[in-house]
Amino acid sequence: MTVPGPSCLRRLATLALTASLAVLFVPASATAVPAFARKYQTSCQTCHVVFPKLNAFGEAFRLRGYRMPAETEEMVKQKPVSLGAPAYKRLWPKAVWPGELPGNLPLAVNVKFANVNASTLNPDGTVTSIRNDFQFPQEANIFAAGTLGDHVSFFSEMTFAENPDGSVAVELEHARLDIDSPFGREDMFHFRIGKMAPNLAGGFQEMWISTDAPIDSVFSYNPIGVNGGTGLVVDATPAPVALPASVRGIEAYGIVKHRMLWVGGVVNGISPGPNGRFDGNNAKDLYARLDYKFGGMGFDGDTGGKAPPAENWRDNSLRVGAFVYRGNGTNINFASTDVQGDPLNIQDLHFLRVGFYASVYFQDLNVFGAYLHGTDQLQLLDPTSNEGLGLVQADSRAWFVQADYVFYPWLQGSGRYETVTPADPAAAIVKRGVATLNALIRANVKAMVEYQRDLNEGQNHSLNLLVRFAF
Amino acid sequence: MTRRTLSLIGISLAVVGASVMARTSPAAGTITGTVKAPGQTNNADAVVYVEHAAGPFAPSGPIVMDQRSMKFVPHVLTVLLGTTVKFTNSDTVSHNVFSPDNEKYQLGTWPPGASKDHVFAKCAKFPCVYAQLCMIHPEMEGFVVVLQNPHVATTDATGQFKIEGVPTGTYQVAVWHPKMKGQPKPVTVEAGKPATVDFTLGR
Repeated sequence: MTVPGPSCLRRLATLALTASLAVLFVPASATAVPAFARKYQTSCQTCHVVFPKLNAFGEAFRLRGYRMPAETEEMVKQKPVSLGAPAYKRLWPKAVWPGELPGNLPLAVNVKFANVNASTLNPDGTVTSIRNDFQFPQEANIFAAGTLGDHVSFFSEMTFAENPDGSVAVELEHARLDIDSPFGREDMFHFRIGKMAPNLAGGFQEMWISTDAPIDSVFSYNPIGVNGGTGLVVDATPAPVALPASVRGIEAYGIVKHRMLWVGGVVNGISPGPNGRFDGNNAKDLYARLDYKFGGMGFDGDTGGKAPPAENWRDNSLRVGAFVYRGNGTNINFASTDVQGDPLNIQDLHFLRVGFYASVYFQDLNVFGAYLHGTDQLQLLDPTSNEGLGLVQADSRAWFVQADYVFYPWLQGSGRYETVTPADPAAAIVKRGVATLNALIRANVKAMVEYQRDLNEGQNHSLNLLVRFAF
Repeated sequence: MTRRTLSLIGISLAVVGASVMARTSPAAGTITGTVKAPGQTNNADAVVYVEHAAGPFAPSGPIVMDQRSMKFVPHVLTVLLGTTVKFTNSDTVSHNVFSPDNEKYQLGTWPPGASKDHVFAKCAKFPCVYAQLCMIHPEMEGFVVVLQNPHVATTDATGQFKIEGVPTGTYQVAVWHPKMKGQPKPVTVEAGKPATVDFTLGR
């Protein structure tokens, strides 16, 4: 068997690109949780610029375990159900530590309708054209989120995506329990357990996104040319080795002196594994992030005694951060083929994703982006004998930059450029542009127009009209 | 008898009554004011009390703290040292009363309609606050606040209080709240003149 170098993956990359185009228009997971609006009897815009994008106050609310900065009893309009008088704290461990239940079932629903118009170039040179495909609905999400008394909060999301044949795909996207500020100074230390968007992505992908399209360059492309080449690897099994937008594991994070955010996590990594196990192997992946914010509102909502601007989407500030993800894919086989078409297994023994991030707010403009560098040590294996066929070092990089501008409180425009330079130098560099206009019809109802374009191949593009509402 | 005659008699009786009151408590005044509990749903349940007054003060008969609609009623009960509190049960379910504070006590569990007494006979440092809990219904919570003297009032939802019959003199007036804290303030009580003191509580 010939040991394939990077060039052997070129053909796979072509196939993968075809596959990727089929899913080019996969929507992003994005959350807006009206359960909080009910709890506090407040508008969505208290926390969101244009939902789901959070403003600085909303980001503080999120990081503080769904508690408002300097929250007081009178802010909570839906009184919780006591599960124990506070005096029981003094009896522990001879009594159950007192907690609370949300006053009402803390459920919320997001629904998305899409009118899809897409053009896709097929491998045989033909073009598939979709015009006015009414995907009504395209997706519905049910959220449950809230607090369970002091120091405990939770978040879960069930997504129902309707398929063209009428079947419905259901996914538990999030199911998370948070322990907030259990000791030390408030917000110095939180930890969370469950299936979640890690705070690697919890920042710029999960809660800040203003586009319907996810930031595929960083979170969805497989940059190393295995099991999908350079294409999108949504629904791939095992899950890909991009920077994960969703993990199962334990994360700790905290805020230091209002301005610094630290994050560390231990997660399953590539998954699922064989025989019904969730993790692909016995090794755990690790990640960390460190952010600092100059100006604006602190991560915990601190304003330093200054009044924040009346336009609550404004937060004149600079936020910078660095992050690292270290993965171990030993014993997890990605099925592939060599240049002769013979079967080949590839294991990603060690992979490292290192990146930095910046976000600038100036008045009505927010520009943010991230750079990600990937290094993968690939072990090539004979699938029959499991004999090692060689090692390949795969280096890749991806980056994106996005600008959001608030024209009016109800109207925001966004533009994003993103690119992936795959490990295989022969594989095409991925370039994509996204332009979006968000219009709030109501604080919880919005219309979107979004144009996406493959900047390498002009016949791959889409123009989608969307309506989202949350209640 | 005409309406005018009746009015004159009424006025005369009021004047006589006022002079009698002045004679029976010649050196007493009133302390009034407001307690603000920022961030709380309302300003109720703050106990405003004179820290120390010349005694002695004898406790009156049993004072009732009821368990009604799964709540301690009143939520905050102020008593003099040595007072017997009768814990009644007006609910249709059994209740229990115990306190994890100070010398601690467990009064047991009793059915609807029954009651148990407890004497608050000790207090090393006033005020002695006893959280009242029910083991059967952990969400229930009340407070018994044991004080050195009877010059005390509990605020209403607006935070207003009024302590009547305070002998003239200068006192430290303090405030206790189930969730917040306040600093004592000096107050001088003059006969027949209301003294005013306001508190704003903090964490």
